[in-house]
Amino acid sequence: MATPVTRVHQPTRAQAFAWELGAFLRHLDYLLLAATGGLLAYGLWVLESVTQNDVAGDPGYYVFRQTIYVVAGVLLLAAVAAVDPNVYRRVRWPLYGAVIVLLIAVFVLAEEVRGSRRWIQIGFFNFQPSELGKIVLIVVLAGFVAERRHRLAEWGTTLGVIGLAAPLMALVFKEPDFGTTLIYAAIVLGALFFGGTPWRHLAVLAIIAGLVAGALLWFLPSAGIEVLEPYQRERLTGFVDPDVDPSGSTYNVNQSITAVGSGGFDGRGADNATQTKFNYLPEHSTDFIFSSLAEQRGFMGAAILLLLYGIVIWRGTKIVAVAKDLYSAILAGTVVFALLIQLFINVGMTIGIAPVTGIPLPLVSYGGSSLLTTLILIGLLEAVHVRGRLAGAR
Amino acid sequence: MNDHGRRPGFLPPDPRVEEPYRFNPQMALRVGILGVLAVVVFCALFFRLWALQVISGERYLENANNNQIRSFGVAAPRGSIVDRDGDTLVSNKPGTQIQIWPAALERLPVEERAAMLRRLARLLELKVPAVRDKVEERLESDPLTPVTIDTSVGELKTAYLMEHQGDFPGVQITETYLRSYEQGVLAPHILGYVGEIDAEQLEAKADQGYRSGDRIGKTGIEAVYDTYLRGVRGEGRVFVDALGRITSEREFSQLPEPGDNIRLTIDADLQRASEEALEYGIRLAHDQDEWAADGGALVALDVNTGEILALASNPTFDPGIYVGRVEEKDLNALAAKSANHPTLNRAVAGLYPPGSTFKPFVALAALEEGLLGRDEYIQCTGEEVIDGQTFSNWDPYKNEPMTVSTALANSCDTFFYNVALRFYKRKDSPLQRWSRAMGFGAGTGIDLGPEAEGLVPTPGWRRRTFKTEIDKIWTSGDSVQLAIGQGDLLVSPLQMTRAYAMIANGGKLVEPHLVKSVEEPRNEGEPPVVLRPYTPKPARELGLDPNGVQVVQQALYDATHATYGTSQAVFGSFPVPIAGKTGTAEKFVTLPGFEGLRDQSWWCGYGPYEAPEIAVCALIENGGHGGTAAAPTALKVFEKYFNVEPGSYSAVVQQSD
Repeated sequence: MATPVTRVHQPTRAQAFAWELGAFLRHLDYLLLAATGGLLAYGLWVLESVTQNDVAGDPGYYVFRQTIYVVAGVLLLAAVAAVDPNVYRRVRWPLYGAVIVLLIAVFVLAEEVRGSRRWIQIGFFNFQPSELGKIVLIVVLAGFVAERRHRLAEWGTTLGVIGLAAPLMALVFKEPDFGTTLIYAAIVLGALFFGGTPWRHLAVLAIIAGLVAGALLWFLPSAGIEVLEPYQRERLTGFVDPDVDPSGSTYNVNQSITAVGSGGFDGRGADNATQTKFNYLPEHSTDFIFSSLAEQRGFMGAAILLLLYGIVIWRGTKIVAVAKDLYSAILAGTVVFALLIQLFINVGMTIGIAPVTGIPLPLVSYGGSSLLTTLILIGLLEAVHVRGRLAGAR
Repeated sequence: MNDHGRRPGFLPPDPRVEEPYRFNPQMALRVGILGVLAVVVFCALFFRLWALQVISGERYLENANNNQIRSFGVAAPRGSIVDRDGDTLVSNKPGTQIQIWPAALERLPVEERAAMLRRLARLLELKVPAVRDKVEERLESDPLTPVTIDTSVGELKTAYLMEHQGDFPGVQITETYLRSYEQGVLAPHILGYVGEIDAEQLEAKADQGYRSGDRIGKTGIEAVYDTYLRGVRGEGRVFVDALGRITSEREFSQLPEPGDNIRLTIDADLQRASEEALEYGIRLAHDQDEWAADGGALVALDVNTGEILALASNPTFDPGIYVGRVEEKDLNALAAKSANHPTLNRAVAGLYPPGSTFKPFVALAALEEGLLGRDEYIQCTGEEVIDGQTFSNWDPYKNEPMTVSTALANSCDTFFYNVALRFYKRKDSPLQRWSRAMGFGAGTGIDLGPEAEGLVPTPGWRRRTFKTEIDKIWTSGDSVQLAIGQGDLLVSPLQMTRAYAMIANGGKLVEPHLVKSVEEPRNEGEPPVVLRPYTPKPARELGLDPNGVQVVQQALYDATHATYGTSQAVFGSFPVPIAGKTGTAEKFVTLPGFEGLRDQSWWCGYGPYEAPEIAVCALIENGGHGGTAAAPTALKVFEKYFNVEPGSYSAVVQQSD
């Protein structure tokens, strides 16, 4: 006669790892991944059509390089998704310091390209610190707001958030990179909004922002004080009335609108897309790639792209709801908001409903830093989703 | 709930953030707002795209196509100008033009525009402000037509521009035609030159189809016959890319048509001989210590048809300086005081007192009016006193009775003073009336452009022109001066030549003209097709008494062949009989460092005497006596015309050793 002995089965390290990997894979948001993959594939295809005539004798020049970044980015996405977001929160101050240093280094190390310094060259790779800054700022602000969850009604918190963002925004603004500065502002807004800052704080901030914009664009120049360069001012006000244009700043937008409109319902095809082919459309592989896509593939092509982005934004919004803790929720919400704003400004600029700023179309524009950053951000969303699902949160 | 997430085991949970988190309604609201915002954004983007692409798609497609269209013009080859025998005087040679599209330049951002202009100006060795002004001027008037910045640039620079098109957006190189002066410096005053049309001309000729940037004749035949010479410009369209580089075939809506040729009445050999003769005449004058001789004019005319065989003016200039890029320094050289107005055509626009060369017309008028008999004798003395003024003869020792024929040949001044007094007594100014009838005091209607009318002074003119009472009166002295071709009388060499042709052909005033016909150019070896022969007005019959004309003709023959003839030494032994008259006219001139009276040397005449063909008038400014400077000048022209070898006969031409 024997007493039943229950042995607790201790898993080996390998078994534990396998179980965790399985859990990880089970709780990924595959729809988000599919949409992201779809955007990457579509983006590469678009890039190929758009840039096939850019380098004589080498139609795949840009696509090849972009593919390398895509592969690297996907690996980064997997790595970021696998790590608990709270790890980033805990190392955020060193990250913050590093970004400040890099942004200052830009003024010293970067070459001036068309009037601005943005990239530091590391061998083969052009590295844009302001893109990295996006990720760090999101992490820092999300962490800051989450820690002060019980003190959100205080102005100290709100101003603290702004104070943390201000040095980064100032450095980016001086490059000058006004578009990325706007995205940083969106990140600030996102962090405050999702953290739970009271509405009155947000209202006051909105009024102040409006006054500052008014001052920069209209009041100060009337008094003779120019903070923004004239061309910057014209770009911002020009989208309201593109016919008023003394120095040709909105020439780009008019060419872009012509390109987009001429696409019609199903596009002109790569060979007949004359605005792209004959260089009437500037920056057709980067900032204005959407116009080029719209010209070549028409409304259908553009709609497919927007649909894919729509899926990403939708899944991202759901992820905010399943986050396991406040920090992750703020993180996810800010990421989604930043992506939405970037999408709106870039596409809106090409069709004349948003001011002209030099920011890329996420996941599609040619450029390594932007691509990697966006994939990292999506990786963060996945990380939040996995942890949230695992924690059984709502 | 066991957390198998990757949380490092050594870190305790952070209660501030990692405590269980409830998805409370406040958060739900905010997430909901995010969702609504996303929906709004996407709707805005979709609607705008629909509006642009589906609703307005056609319009933008058209815009995209129009973006690329550039219209262009192709210069037509200009017609050639040939002489009466078909020898080419002016034709075309190919050249390159550098042009800028102002509209394309406008599209560039301001800094790039300035940088491109600087690069271009440096390459072409031009001044940046000049280039920029040209572009801006064209931008205001006609931004879609390219503006020419430089011409005949040279192969190296053209090649550089073509290789570096990307650095020069909006710049294009076109081929054009430039004028080529086949005979070197010959007849520039007749031919004129070609340049780019300016604003005033454009306004005046807008209805004739001229456009900005067109080339147009500025002076001379090039100007007067520009509508024949210029042909029809080609028009076309081409597609270009954003930098202005051509991306399609050119489509022509109008092919260029070459201009018609102009055949002149000028004989190129005779013209060259005339221009050389003027140089010769000026040298002769210098040899005679007439240091002020510095110019002249010569006209050779067919006495029966009015065709001009040669028309020369000295000093002359090289029309080649107006071809291609016109250099400031060349223009300044022409305008310098020391250059003595080389572009002035003295043959038609120069005015001088005719002196004794006018006497034949005074004689004719007197004979017609019955104030003088053909065989009447008047004493020719050394001087005459008229109304208290003393007027002398050129030969103070003369004292013999003369008929009009002898007086002309001898050029006796006092004879004509007497005739003048007879005119003075008449109240209807018959001398002036006959002068005007013979073509003085008015333009000849020559098809060359502006000519001077000259002046035939009358009592009425005096009253109108002068202010003081004393000056307003026409005195006997004025009549006297008029009768010897001095005083306020002013004539041009062309008027004189035509008037002498009138004597030669028996009393008909011909219409002097330079163009024989307008012809359609043909290939080498094929005869030209005459499109329009020049039909001059019929010669005006003056109704002169043939006996009177005969007297004057004989007198002119005596002037060159009788021993007392004033140019007998020059023409006496010439194998072809030439008749003509010298003149030594005093004129008040203002020269650098001198102000006063200088003698203008004249000789006018015709030949062969029995059956006249050609009338020649030569004038050497400040050249002294007619017989010493102008007569030998005219002789050279007759030599050429009649193919007489110089030296095959004896002529006394006074050159100092």
